[in-house]
Amino acid sequence: MSDSIQPDKTLDCTGLTCPMPLLKTKKMIKTMESGQVLEIISSDPGSKNDIPTFAERSGHEFIGEKDMSDLTHFYLKIK
Amino acid sequence: MKIFKEIIANWYSKVFYVNWSIGTAGVLIGITSVLVFAWERPWGVAGGLKDLGDTFFYMIGIYANKPNSPFFSTSSILTIGLFWGAFASALMSKQFILRKAPTVEIVKGIIGGSIMGTGAAMAKGCNIGGFYVAMSAMSLGGLCMMVGLFVGAYIGIRYLYWELEHYPSSHIQKSRKKNKTRFLKIQPYLGTIVLILAFITMIIYSQNAYTKLGGLLLFGIAFGIIMHRSRFCFVRFFRDPFMSGEADMIRTVSISLMISIIGFAILKWTGLRDEMVYVTKSFWIGGFIGGIVFGFGMVISGGCGSGSIWRAAEGHLKLIFCVIFFALTTSLVNKIIKASPELNQLMGYRVFLPDYLTYGWSLILLIGLLCFLSLIFTWNERTEKFTIDI
Repeated sequence: MSDSIQPDKTLDCTGLTCPMPLLKTKKMIKTMESGQVLEIISSDPGSKNDIPTFAERSGHEFIGEKDMSDLTHFYLKIK
Repeated sequence: MKIFKEIIANWYSKVFYVNWSIGTAGVLIGITSVLVFAWERPWGVAGGLKDLGDTFFYMIGIYANKPNSPFFSTSSILTIGLFWGAFASALMSKQFILRKAPTVEIVKGIIGGSIMGTGAAMAKGCNIGGFYVAMSAMSLGGLCMMVGLFVGAYIGIRYLYWELEHYPSSHIQKSRKKNKTRFLKIQPYLGTIVLILAFITMIIYSQNAYTKLGGLLLFGIAFGIIMHRSRFCFVRFFRDPFMSGEADMIRTVSISLMISIIGFAILKWTGLRDEMVYVTKSFWIGGFIGGIVFGFGMVISGGCGSGSIWRAAEGHLKLIFCVIFFALTTSLVNKIIKASPELNQLMGYRVFLPDYLTYGWSLILLIGLLCFLSLIFTWNERTEKFTIDI
């Protein structure tokens, strides 16, 4: 499913550790409009918990994640 | 035979591929904290790092007196065990990779580690020895550190937001030359070897009449595995209420602490263990100010005493630097504080709550306080009154 997602913006957090990917995500969302899709790339295994939990709490729709070697791509649809 | 293979593969994946829930981990940490005290002494992390720092400074000729050998000090054995266990666990779950970080982040690791080292020296322990265990031991200094840690984490979050506005750190470019899949595949075997080596070390200690030290190594390893598999992060206890509003870590650590407090009370009240163990000499300046300093440092570096170690064991370069600088500064600042009787006295007194309140009321007070904290931060989870917006 996540193969077909076309993100409007991409946030590369490679090499950053908790809590930086989450804080950068929050900041990026502020600049986006409702319905747009944000792609977040993270190398921190902690993001696998943090980003879906954040989505659940904040109301943005978590539409998928995919693993590519040691990076994970996450997709959020802005509410 | 095929069915057995399937069952074992399924169990392995449940233990090493699926993250453990932090609730389970919190209960396990509470129980292990009591068991390790019953075995020999309470858990600690910063003391071990200090021993390793002392050894380093002695070896390069800065300290004149020979410190305890890290292989025979109960503190450093626990800390080495924590690293050992997390390293084995990272390998078993195919998560060990040297994870590079942008230069700014490395610098934050070094600064954060040094700040934590300073705070831990003031509070007579990191968030484990100075807060978690000190609180379990019903030390008023532990409560002071908790308050300080909240304040420090709040300042730290404010700083991180400011940094994001003005100096946002960039990501690093990944080099994609090497094929790492083969290394990932053999990791579970390497992890098994690392764990077997731990048992062999335990046997060697035991045969030389150091069974207690060998046991402490295994307890350290248990903490390392529990923390790594659940990605247990004490920083979140202090930081999340202000950052994201989440309170699950507040509830988890509160329950974990209740188990540990009750266990410690049983061991001390019955006279099985000395009452003053881990009643830290940190009421109130050392605990409170040290807590603020430590809390700020742990938010900057993204890992507390124990969290930095298990993340370093997973290969995060930032946290590897953080742990090294933590060990060096905590050793130095400890020396400075110990060298001056006035400064040492300024850090505070040992206050054992049951001396003033009796065991019963101390238990009611501490457990009541944890319930209150959970309640207030769960309320904040819904209302976000304390949460700072970015």
